[in-house]
Amino acid sequence: MKHIVFTILTLFFLSASVNAQEDRWEKWGPTTGLKGGGFIARVGYVIGGTTPIPLPAEIRKVNGFSPRGGVSLGIDGYKMFTKRWGISAGAHFFWEGFHTNADVKNYYVWLEQEGEVTKGYFTGTNVTNTEMWGVTLPLLATFRMSPRWNVSAGPYLSLYFHQTFSGEVFDNDEGIGYLREDVPTGTKILMSRENPTPYPDNFPEKMQPVALGIEIAFDWKTAKHVNVFGLLDWGMTDIWDRNFEAITFKMYPIYATIGAAYRY
Amino acid sequence: MNKTSIVALVAVPLLMLSCIKAEQANTECDIEAVSLHFESPTGIFYHEYDTMQTVISSETDIVFIVRSYANVHSVPLTLRVTEGASIFMLTEDGDETPFQNGSEVDFSDERVCRFHVVSEDKAWSRNYSIKIEHDTPSEGNLTFDFEDYYLDPSGKFYMWSAPEVFTDGVWKNGNPGFKISRSLAKPMEYPSTPVAGGGPDGSACLKLETCDTGPFGKLAGMRIASGSMFNGVFDVSNAIKNALKATQFGSPFEHKPVQMRVWLRYERAEDYWNKAGQTMEGVWDEPDAYVVLYRNEDAEGNKIQLDGNDVLSSPHIVALGRLPHYYNEDGTDKLSDAPIHGVTSEWQEFTIPVEYRDEIDAEVLANRGYSLIIGFASSWQGAHFMGAIGSKLLIDNIQLFCE
Repeated sequence: MKHIVFTILTLFFLSASVNAQEDRWEKWGPTTGLKGGGFIARVGYVIGGTTPIPLPAEIRKVNGFSPRGGVSLGIDGYKMFTKRWGISAGAHFFWEGFHTNADVKNYYVWLEQEGEVTKGYFTGTNVTNTEMWGVTLPLLATFRMSPRWNVSAGPYLSLYFHQTFSGEVFDNDEGIGYLREDVPTGTKILMSRENPTPYPDNFPEKMQPVALGIEIAFDWKTAKHVNVFGLLDWGMTDIWDRNFEAITFKMYPIYATIGAAYRY
Repeated sequence: MNKTSIVALVAVPLLMLSCIKAEQANTECDIEAVSLHFESPTGIFYHEYDTMQTVISSETDIVFIVRSYANVHSVPLTLRVTEGASIFMLTEDGDETPFQNGSEVDFSDERVCRFHVVSEDKAWSRNYSIKIEHDTPSEGNLTFDFEDYYLDPSGKFYMWSAPEVFTDGVWKNGNPGFKISRSLAKPMEYPSTPVAGGGPDGSACLKLETCDTGPFGKLAGMRIASGSMFNGVFDVSNAIKNALKATQFGSPFEHKPVQMRVWLRYERAEDYWNKAGQTMEGVWDEPDAYVVLYRNEDAEGNKIQLDGNDVLSSPHIVALGRLPHYYNEDGTDKLSDAPIHGVTSEWQEFTIPVEYRDEIDAEVLANRGYSLIIGFASSWQGAHFMGAIGSKLLIDNIQLFCE
């Protein structure tokens, strides 16, 4: 995974340097002083997922993935202190989520409903849907790579107004789908796609209302007041309450936004 | 769209997809099927299909029934186990030797052969026993009084001993399925429970009660569990996937039943639910009690196994006796507000005659070619998850009379 991140970063810097032309620093924005600030209003499309990192060995195959929601509206204020360095802070309201269908093997599940517990090891197909409405508050250091390219990075805090997390389990394409109750030698309970077994509806109650992470944003100035941008919000905190036993691994929200912005 | 956004668009799915780890070794260690190899199986077994058994996941004691006069010594044995699992045979002094499929095993004198199956990851194992038992000719007339009950090995629910002629010598019911949905239920909160001193003669009787399956039952679309009692096999593995398949009715029987007498008492609960948990106005809950005799092998020699789908409607049924109910013109069950079963909240003895649809072939009968079912339910539509929570059927002193 590390080399993928490295490749992405290298691509950004290459494209940035090609566009760099010294005489255009003034034309494409503030350099310093009191005038070196402003705001950026952003509209974006959000795509990403909430995932364990790395994927646990229990996940054998990802059959399908599709984004849900995908709207981000935000505003950032920025201030350049020097020709190249500045800071920005803002609020990005989002509606994001995804649907995934994955084959799992020996995936430990612990389901609790009104005190009743079903637990054990599931092998088969697992479908997960999650959607989140909230606001991300980034505080970023901005580096101006070239007259038209900015890169910003820093921590963010997300507050969730509403979260959903649902899913179901059933048999995979080979017809294999079962729970071994409690232990791998426990009673085998078959599952089927004709009658899929849904997750209990109390999962969203077990989700953390806040998340911390790192944001990286790239802005490219296309016109006097217009940017296109791409940013990545990489969650560093587990989405689940610490005492939530249904899912034994930590899951992190990783969502990218691409869009256009008005720059003033 | 610039390079930034394209890369971002591609990067996230890539991150998610690129890191599938190596598959871990299997943790399961089941015997899934057992086959015995005989040159001419029909001289030993009643049916050719009896040489192979699929093993349900909760079962560890495997018994093959052979003809009473069959001479059994060493038999080549094949076990189908979980992929990657290894099989060891246990000697009488506890030593383990690796077992090769197809090796001969000494099953003489109804010897119990013990096997130890170890999972591919070596962390889990299960012990099994396999035995070849001679059929003991049964008395035709049977009586059942539900006096011999005990807790299952998990201590969660009750089980009842039955005469040997019933599969495993144990009555079957839906209690193991109820355990999946109601893990907190106490033994006396299960659908099938004993009532000490509750019988018409002051001894123990059996109580079947339609119960709420709780939040998990609701999730699975199985809101109620009718109390049930029958002979055969309850395959708990199918309790969620295909509940009608979980109840595998009947045990081979060598006699011709003509009448069942049984003491019954019924307390009907009011609020009748359909499968979606909605009250059905004007429908009364009804109990069920029946005797079925069916042909257990088809013309090609395949096993016929009646289950919840066709226990009372299969074309292989040759004789049937049942508490009276109303039926639609097409023969399907008719829900009613004025049932005719006649069971009240006072103990009464009922006589249920067994009516024959087909001639019985005496030779087939003598060769265990028919299977007998005795079944009871506290909600007659309980197999379809319809009934009233709280309906209770009390049962005692069953007598089955044979010709």
